[in-house]
Amino acid sequence: MEAAMKNLYLPHLVTIEDVYQETPDVRSYRLVFKDPGVRDTFDFKTGQFGIYSAFGYGESSFCIASSPTRKGYIQCTFRQVGRVTGALAGLEVGDTMGFRGPYGNWFPIDEWKGKNIVFVAGGIALPPVRSVIWNCLDRREDFGDITIVYGARTVEDLVYKNELAHWEERNDVNLVQTVDPGGETPEWKGKIGFVPTVLEEVAPKPENTIAVMCGPPIMIKFSLVSLEKLGFSDEQVYTTLENKMKCGVGKCGRCNVGDIYICKEGPVYTAAQVKRMHNDF
Amino acid sequence: MDKRLLKKANLGKLIEGVTAKGGVFVAPVREAGEVYYRPVTGAEEVVLDHILPKKPFKEFFFPQTEVIASFEGHKDQVELKGYESVIEETVIFAARPCEASSTASLRSVFTWDFVDEFYTNREDRAVVMGLACIRGDRACFCTSVELAPDTTEGSDILLKETVKGDFRAEAVTDKGKAFMERHKAVFEEGGTEAVETKKIFEPEKLDVDLKRISRWLSQKANYESPLWAELSRKCVGCGACTFSCVTCHCFDITDEGTYFEGERRKNWDACQFEFFTLHAAGHNPRDTQYKRWRNRFMCKFNFYPEKFSSKGCVGCGRCIRVCPVRLDITEVMTEISRTG
Repeated sequence: MEAAMKNLYLPHLVTIEDVYQETPDVRSYRLVFKDPGVRDTFDFKTGQFGIYSAFGYGESSFCIASSPTRKGYIQCTFRQVGRVTGALAGLEVGDTMGFRGPYGNWFPIDEWKGKNIVFVAGGIALPPVRSVIWNCLDRREDFGDITIVYGARTVEDLVYKNELAHWEERNDVNLVQTVDPGGETPEWKGKIGFVPTVLEEVAPKPENTIAVMCGPPIMIKFSLVSLEKLGFSDEQVYTTLENKMKCGVGKCGRCNVGDIYICKEGPVYTAAQVKRMHNDF
Repeated sequence: MDKRLLKKANLGKLIEGVTAKGGVFVAPVREAGEVYYRPVTGAEEVVLDHILPKKPFKEFFFPQTEVIASFEGHKDQVELKGYESVIEETVIFAARPCEASSTASLRSVFTWDFVDEFYTNREDRAVVMGLACIRGDRACFCTSVELAPDTTEGSDILLKETVKGDFRAEAVTDKGKAFMERHKAVFEEGGTEAVETKKIFEPEKLDVDLKRISRWLSQKANYESPLWAELSRKCVGCGACTFSCVTCHCFDITDEGTYFEGERRKNWDACQFEFFTLHAAGHNPRDTQYKRWRNRFMCKFNFYPEKFSSKGCVGCGRCIRVCPVRLDITEVMTEISRTG
């Protein structure tokens, strides 16, 4: 008998165990694998992503927003923008989704032991950074100072509000929150200004420090300039790229930037690597 | 057993020998004036007076659409069933040598790190019988991409038509040798070089240097060259070149049906389509046609050779023949080779 074929595109079934409405159009799901064998053995590294499916609608790729130190479940966070995320947004606790992964490379946090870490994120780009943040916080003694600079257009657009409050309270984390001018509310106690400007005010020292950055292209562009001004080299700055993906395994031909397949060779790169790439993202 | 004679009169027996055991015998047939590779059951269906079939035979390894899973959603659970690719022996008869050589290219993409067994299962069970070309047209350019109309690359058995209309069969791979052994009743003695074969077609050779092209493409500054927009200006983005290309491998994964009952399918897709790389949030990294055309050209002459160590273009000329605006890839190759 020939062994059964391994179906590369067959997802695992996962149950939605918890739902968090982060903003009016952003939701987070806590997902648990239905197969106990997968639940017990599933492992990933921070920065890897998955392909999530709403049956009858299709698949979408997003990061795994939880930390690999938290076993037994994964979390995803997505904004409702298209057909698949629209269908996913309609699901509730107890409903079934599909998940394939983990795919791609990861943030090399083991190489960062003893270093300070600055997280820079904008809007819906906090989820991939959140995975790294919790991974580092769960191994707090391995790292030096931890600074988080997070901004969104408006107060309403800030995701993970409960966790922001928790990080705010912790004395081993320096959290700086900001909203774009005009996005504040009367109760807003954080900063008002764009992320790159606020980053320059916070002025983290580049010595023995790694910067992890994720955000919209315009934020990345100007934050890179700010980090350069502060003395960071391109090798010290890490980011995670996004491109449309369907297969997640380097076959379907969509996510490539020149000859680099983001899904397989990425999505995590240093700023130095990103600068060497063709302008195709 | 390496060199044999397959008499044309015995082709029917060979077809029967393969199909009787549940195998699929694919050969060129004429349909509404065009020639296509189709499964056949008799020798009378096979045509050999054509230049090359309209679509490549890659669809027998990588179908235009295939089910990868099906699902049934209920109130509190989903039943999910994975599919497998059918693994009957598939014989591709009279494959054009240029396209036979492209199989290694598709394999390189479908097996790097992650293995797509939908593809490999079929290809592993296939016997490719290439037939050297005795005719061609002005769109043929295999000799300009380091191939030949009688190349053995990629074929398990290479056939050459004899002046009498029979086939001299040469086993190229062990798989081909074993196939000839299994069907030795039709692969007769007497396929030696002494048997005279028809004259091989010689396509016109272009003045191009593939190394120069690849080197020019590797240089980051040339990615922004105004040449791209100029050379691809007339492209309308129909994607016909990709659907007829032997090495194009792009696909989409989509759900059909509903949550209650549906299928997940892998369908051919094309990097020439505007929606191909469009993010749900509205950003599109390849937002104009020249960028999409540039991606396709780079895939053929830089990504495939440099990243996958295989051929991105085999010179079959299908993209030239089907292009509605006569955008000729050889003109772009010539221009870049001259510039590079």
